[in-house]
Amino acid sequence: MQADRAGTAGTSIRRVFVATWVIVATLALAACGSDLGGGGREGEVETAAAEGEASGDLFVSNWPFYIDGKTVGEFEQESGLSVEYKEDINDNNAIFAKLQPRLQNGESEGRDILVVTDWMAKKMYDLGYLQNFDKSAIPTVAENLVPNLQSPSFDPEREYSAPWQAGMTGLIVDKSAAPDVTSINDIFDPKYKGKVTVLSELRDTIPLIMKADGVDVENATADDWLAAIDKLDAAVGSGQIRDVTGNDYVDDLARGDATVAIGWSGDAVQLQADNPDIEFVMPDEGCIIWSDNMVIPVGAPNPTAAYEFMNYVYEPDNQAQIAAYNSYVTPVSGVQEIFQEEDPALARSELIFPSEDYQQDCSTQPNPPTDGGDEVEQAFESVTTGG
Amino acid sequence: MTSGRRRVPYLLLAPGLLWLAIFFVLPLFFMGIIAVEEGSLEEGFSLTWRFANFTDSISRFDTQFVRSFIYAGIATALCLVIAYPLAYAIAFKAGRWKNALLLAVIAPFFTTYLIRTLAWQTILFDNSPIVDALKFVGAVPDDGRVLDTTGSVIAGLTYNFLPFMILPIYASLEQMDRRLIEAGRDLYSSARTTFLKVTLPISMPGVIAGTLLTFIPAVGDYINADLLGSSNQAMIGNVVQGQYLDIKDYPIAAALSFVLMAMILVVVAVYIKFAGSEALMGDEEERGAA
Repeated sequence: MQADRAGTAGTSIRRVFVATWVIVATLALAACGSDLGGGGREGEVETAAAEGEASGDLFVSNWPFYIDGKTVGEFEQESGLSVEYKEDINDNNAIFAKLQPRLQNGESEGRDILVVTDWMAKKMYDLGYLQNFDKSAIPTVAENLVPNLQSPSFDPEREYSAPWQAGMTGLIVDKSAAPDVTSINDIFDPKYKGKVTVLSELRDTIPLIMKADGVDVENATADDWLAAIDKLDAAVGSGQIRDVTGNDYVDDLARGDATVAIGWSGDAVQLQADNPDIEFVMPDEGCIIWSDNMVIPVGAPNPTAAYEFMNYVYEPDNQAQIAAYNSYVTPVSGVQEIFQEEDPALARSELIFPSEDYQQDCSTQPNPPTDGGDEVEQAFESVTTGG
Repeated sequence: MTSGRRRVPYLLLAPGLLWLAIFFVLPLFFMGIIAVEEGSLEEGFSLTWRFANFTDSISRFDTQFVRSFIYAGIATALCLVIAYPLAYAIAFKAGRWKNALLLAVIAPFFTTYLIRTLAWQTILFDNSPIVDALKFVGAVPDDGRVLDTTGSVIAGLTYNFLPFMILPIYASLEQMDRRLIEAGRDLYSSARTTFLKVTLPISMPGVIAGTLLTFIPAVGDYINADLLGSSNQAMIGNVVQGQYLDIKDYPIAAALSFVLMAMILVVVAVYIKFAGSEALMGDEEERGAA
């Protein structure tokens, strides 16, 4: 009798297990048609339509330290829109990985504007994750965008991107500890052993090293990229280069753990506030020029409001407030004139208004060639993870 | 009546089993599927049952696998050496300070892991007084550094996982019947022999639980290597992160995770076999009696 009962309990528990496994297996089979990646939306890019007056909510995702404290509030007052401005982008790759599954389904998690770097904008566009702009809705952008940013190679007609800010990748140096640094090759100088950091951004660090070796970065082959990666690998392995880091290099410089770094122009200005010896040094070989762009993802709920915001930040008066805060290269013409009256020192800054002369040897941020690009990415990743 | 009572254990198990099924087995299944897929983000991933992903992930990242196990092994050994005397002192010698000391052991958990680890950056940076002092006594060469070295990563792991070693050892020592030590003395055993023959064996379940609780998360850790090490100290966790976030090779990232899990299982199985499962579970007869 008792054995019987035990048997019943045993059977029922077995049934539960079987049922669980059936559910798990079904879901697993469903997963086989995995929806990770695989565009399929290519070639049918939609245009984000502007519809009448902007109203309602606007959701903007941007990088930290890219906007002053007042602009968003003033925009809300002027436009009557309610704005959620999130500083939740720290890394092109990370935001891509986070949003990719949603974008794949044509959703943007409510975001109307994302700000991503040139190459990432192109990558997202090619995957069908972005919408074209309705150009008639952004007259201020068309009117005030500075000429040299009007037709970048990744988006020659500016059909789906509008620069937020641009910047330069070069050397950031603590002059008190390393006064003679002028060339990219100085990062390999044994004098600075263990005090050099480079960026973990493939498209910043490697092109600069190629430039130092006299390679024409815009036409570099996969072998050129790999050779530069090898050179970097050797320097990291020997301890010449202390670390390959993301934005944390700023802390290394501030603490004095690094005295020479490959870094972004605007960071130098922010570091100077604490340590006047820290400077952006334009390398003898030139710099890498990039921009971060506002884009409208697929599924953006309120493109009309997004256009309103783009027009607003492209008004020189509004842009001046933003540019004065973040010290990056402003994409809006007319700002320099405003600074000349309000703050002549800013108007003279080569970091905010780089002259042609200052940037003569600089290159726009290149991508590894399509052929062999994967190998390049893997080789660089291997350096950053000490393989 | 009887039947209802027999169901009780299963009913008690049900929430836990359900939880594990949904949040452990199911994700594991999905991860297993992804691990044998092939493709790229641009072209899409398709299930081709490519088991070579597993061998690839080992051959490509063998350095980081070996590094992770060495770092975690050293950190676990250091934790044990530091934790045992401390747990012993808290259990037997602390008197009225016992609670205060236990609180001190747990106190670091009041701050997040990330911030605790970041704090070490400000303690160990190149020009810090601590590093100067270490240089003065010759522990660090004059042109050397502490931060961004193998030493700082292992020290970080040791620091962060130390409480997981102290608490189980303390728990097993605390429960110990003190009269056993007296009995040992009564039988003219030296203090050293009493410790080796009585106290240490009784505390073995704590030691084994502690080493497992320390070693397993330490192998997969990536925060310490990221914040306190340079790229030369990258562990397997950092590789998984990079493959997933930067390269977007999801199958390799999933395969790496599986391989890591398998390796840990093997190491733990060998360890338990060697240490004896009785030590972990308690003596079979003892349990039978209780």
